[in-house]
Amino acid sequence: MRTLLSGLLVLAMFILVIHVSHLHAEAHEPTLFQYVTNNYESDCHTTNAVTAILLNYRMYDTMFEVLILLTAIIGMKQFLPSPDELTPDHRWRKKG
Amino acid sequence: MNSADLPDQSLILEVVVGFLYPFMLMLGFFIIVNGHHTPGGGFQGGSILAALFIARYIIFPVHDMNSERMHVFQRVFLALILITPMLLLFTGFIHRNPEYRSLYLLIMNVLIGLQVGLELGVAVLRFAFFEGVGKTWRL
Repeated sequence: MRTLLSGLLVLAMFILVIHVSHLHAEAHEPTLFQYVTNNYESDCHTTNAVTAILLNYRMYDTMFEVLILLTAIIGMKQFLPSPDELTPDHRWRKKG
Repeated sequence: MNSADLPDQSLILEVVVGFLYPFMLMLGFFIIVNGHHTPGGGFQGGSILAALFIARYIIFPVHDMNSERMHVFQRVFLALILITPMLLLFTGFIHRNPEYRSLYLLIMNVLIGLQVGLELGVAVLRFAFFEGVGKTWRL
């Protein structure tokens, strides 16, 4: 019963939030879209708009995207042992 | 551990992957280098380069690559990815010298491609060998 009630509460909150955000939805002028599609070739000397956005207009985004990849690898190296760190019966080898 | 200790591998798989290997390498670098003129770029080409590690693992599952050293190289490329736009883009150098724009895009695509390739390669090797060497799957 408690599970059902909390589930209903979560669902109601979800619908409320979606409804409120839908009430205040505004149609934006596609200013940025038009600027990028009209000017990316002269701005960035490339014929690929995606590259122009990734490496020129949104460079900070790409930099931190690459950093997120590094974070994922660091976490994986922390929790997955490499074969050198394991004994033959799959236990952690003692350091030192 | 040498290749004699490994279980027998499918001959069809070995021949096909061995034939496709240089083409995968070529396709990866093609996508990276042409990233600013055709669809593609560093991330996509880097993923294809990482597929090389998977292909090598499938036909020859020997743990002889030092993933620590690969991780060091990957961090060097990451530092270059962070330094290059700071020096060239954010200082306005590219803005004042428009003839270097294509070169900047090419450098960034190559750096991102190599970094993503090494990074996914480290991940694949770590997952592939985390139970120890010799536990391989067969077709």
